[in-house]
Amino acid sequence: MTGPAEIHDELRAVAADLLAKNRAPDWPVLAAAGWTGLEIPEALGGAGVTFAETAVVCEEMGRAATASAFLGGAVLAVGALAAAPAGTVRDELLAGIAAGTTRAAVVCDGLALRDGRLYGRAEFVPDAPGADVLLVLAGDGVVVAEGLRVDPRQVLDETRRLADVSADGAAVQHHWPIADPQRVRDRAAVALAADSVGIGAAMLDATVGYTAMRHQFGRPIGSFQAVKHACADMFVRLQVARRLVADAAAAIAAHAPDAPLRAAMAKSYAGTAGVDIAGKAMQLHGGIGYTWESGIHAYLKRAALNRTLFGSPQQHRRRIARHRAATDSELG
Amino acid sequence: MSHDLSAFRAEVRAWCADNIPPDWRRAQTGASPEEFVAFQRWWFDRLHAAGYAVPHWPVRWGGSGMTAAEQMVLYAELAAHDAPRLVLAFVGIHHAAATLLAAGTEEQRRRHLPAILAGELWCQGFSEPEAGSDLAALRTTARREGEHYIVNGQKLWASGAKYADWCLLLARTDPNAPKRHGISYFLLDMHSPGVQVRPIRNAVGDEHFCEIFLDDVAVPAANLVGAEHRGWQVAQATLGAERGLTMLELAERLNAGFGRLTAAAPLDDPVVADRLAGFAAELAGLRSLCRKLVEDTDAGRAGPADASVVKLFYSELLQRITDFATEIAGPAAHAELAKPASSGWESGAWLLDFIGSWEWTIPGGASEIQRTIIAERGLGMPREPAVP
Repeated sequence: MTGPAEIHDELRAVAADLLAKNRAPDWPVLAAAGWTGLEIPEALGGAGVTFAETAVVCEEMGRAATASAFLGGAVLAVGALAAAPAGTVRDELLAGIAAGTTRAAVVCDGLALRDGRLYGRAEFVPDAPGADVLLVLAGDGVVVAEGLRVDPRQVLDETRRLADVSADGAAVQHHWPIADPQRVRDRAAVALAADSVGIGAAMLDATVGYTAMRHQFGRPIGSFQAVKHACADMFVRLQVARRLVADAAAAIAAHAPDAPLRAAMAKSYAGTAGVDIAGKAMQLHGGIGYTWESGIHAYLKRAALNRTLFGSPQQHRRRIARHRAATDSELG
Repeated sequence: MSHDLSAFRAEVRAWCADNIPPDWRRAQTGASPEEFVAFQRWWFDRLHAAGYAVPHWPVRWGGSGMTAAEQMVLYAELAAHDAPRLVLAFVGIHHAAATLLAAGTEEQRRRHLPAILAGELWCQGFSEPEAGSDLAALRTTARREGEHYIVNGQKLWASGAKYADWCLLLARTDPNAPKRHGISYFLLDMHSPGVQVRPIRNAVGDEHFCEIFLDDVAVPAANLVGAEHRGWQVAQATLGAERGLTMLELAERLNAGFGRLTAAAPLDDPVVADRLAGFAAELAGLRSLCRKLVEDTDAGRAGPADASVVKLFYSELLQRITDFATEIAGPAAHAELAKPASSGWESGAWLLDFIGSWEWTIPGGASEIQRTIIAERGLGMPREPAVP
């Protein structure tokens, strides 16, 4: 019997294999792997599966610290366009994304509509540099406008491409109303949480492997309880984060009413756990872990960026608290 | 299936509404030992009449043969409706039954399983004064003499032993074999001559933990479970069997108790709201981990350290939540001098709950032991060098 778990295992294995060989797959490579169109309907050239599968790819990209435009071009753009009503322009964009001929990015916060024109400035927009089209969440919908200015914004994490996007009266070309703009942000939050789970898994694996090889005091340092117990704590946090991300991804995929709450839980917990696990990995690798060559710094920087983009843990905990106060209900 | 499950959920909810005494918490606060025992027996019978006391047992032995999914619904609903917990029957319906079903003889099952449903109580005689975390170092001996074993030694931390009719006993049958290869597993009649029980007052002031003194106690050879000298392996195989569902029940209880905490907490204080929101996420993670453990155990694909992950995370989360609850409750938590008997580990008498949380981080494999198990069995890290 082939259930969702088996499909995920297969997707995971294929993704891990590809990403181990190519640390910076470009957009056509992602499309050829079938990942840009995962959630795009089959009629438009996609695979017609759900966000749960997208989250699997995100986790593997975190594990490999992949530099790609998947977050902006697939997670965010497909989420925004899928929420818009079907139509020629929208459908062509989706088909282009599935085919790998169109790379989009989404501006979630910072730009606003006034008298049919866009104004404002959005910071740290993922994958905006070099995007073929920018989709803007504004006026309770998705907007495409002419004349947006994109200023790349370099950050310490060299695996992500970000830009500031500004508009000063940009003319609107398309404006599609969407029912739930927050859903687009929640998708990004859970995608980043999944990425952090992947980072945590990679860092724990590396630490277990290194501490089995590295000898001090005449024995592998991994045989010392202080090291073992630290790794056990990393594993427990990783397992909890993994469950929260899996549940949040499933809730988003199913359009469940508690999806925003699940997303906030996953992002707040996994965002913190990713940084803590990568930090502990650096510690347990000792002096080697602090070198540039070891590459652990790259994971730590990416984990820290994951933690802050699309809402800090504290901001997401505020959402959880508001939700509990508003509903006073138990999670089923 | 989901339709059946929602019908079952409705059935359990209706049962809870009709059967849970609304004032049981008040009535059981400061209850005498006799009142507590009587209430526990009454509640067991009530649950069993509905098929809810041993949902996990096979139908042939008087259980309900519920699926894991049904049991999850049952435990979630009992917790959400603040039902009393089965405290006295716990070892019998979980550990004893799992051991008998996995390793007992047909004769042993026939003697004991119906008796558990009729009210016989069990305790566990594993730990000893010199065998705590290093359980395999246990020194209690069982010497074969004709059709009996003669048992001598001392057991410690046997919860509920003063009420128990029977005891799951580990004793050394081959003093010359390596530690883990000379131990046998017995069913000990607690009413046998030579058995003496002494309660130990614990940190919260109650006396459910006991010492058991065994002085030339004769145990019939027919009460041996599994092969002679293979008791360690029997214990290893049966301890894990019930971990998933028992932890799931505890997680549901903690979640319900957390609901009572947040309902009374000053959420307008952003620091309090932030801490509680963090706990809410961790609780959701715990409950999800428990459900996954039950499903994976059912499907035979649970990892070697999965139960340890859940036990460790639950224990320390319980401790952190009850600690914070005590902090925000202020002096009032210190004036709660008794918690309701038959309630869970998050009764709402928060200081007592906080102190009681060490009953989770120490027994059943202390947190330090769990971390070593997770590292060595779960992650495959190098073992400690052998002690000469």
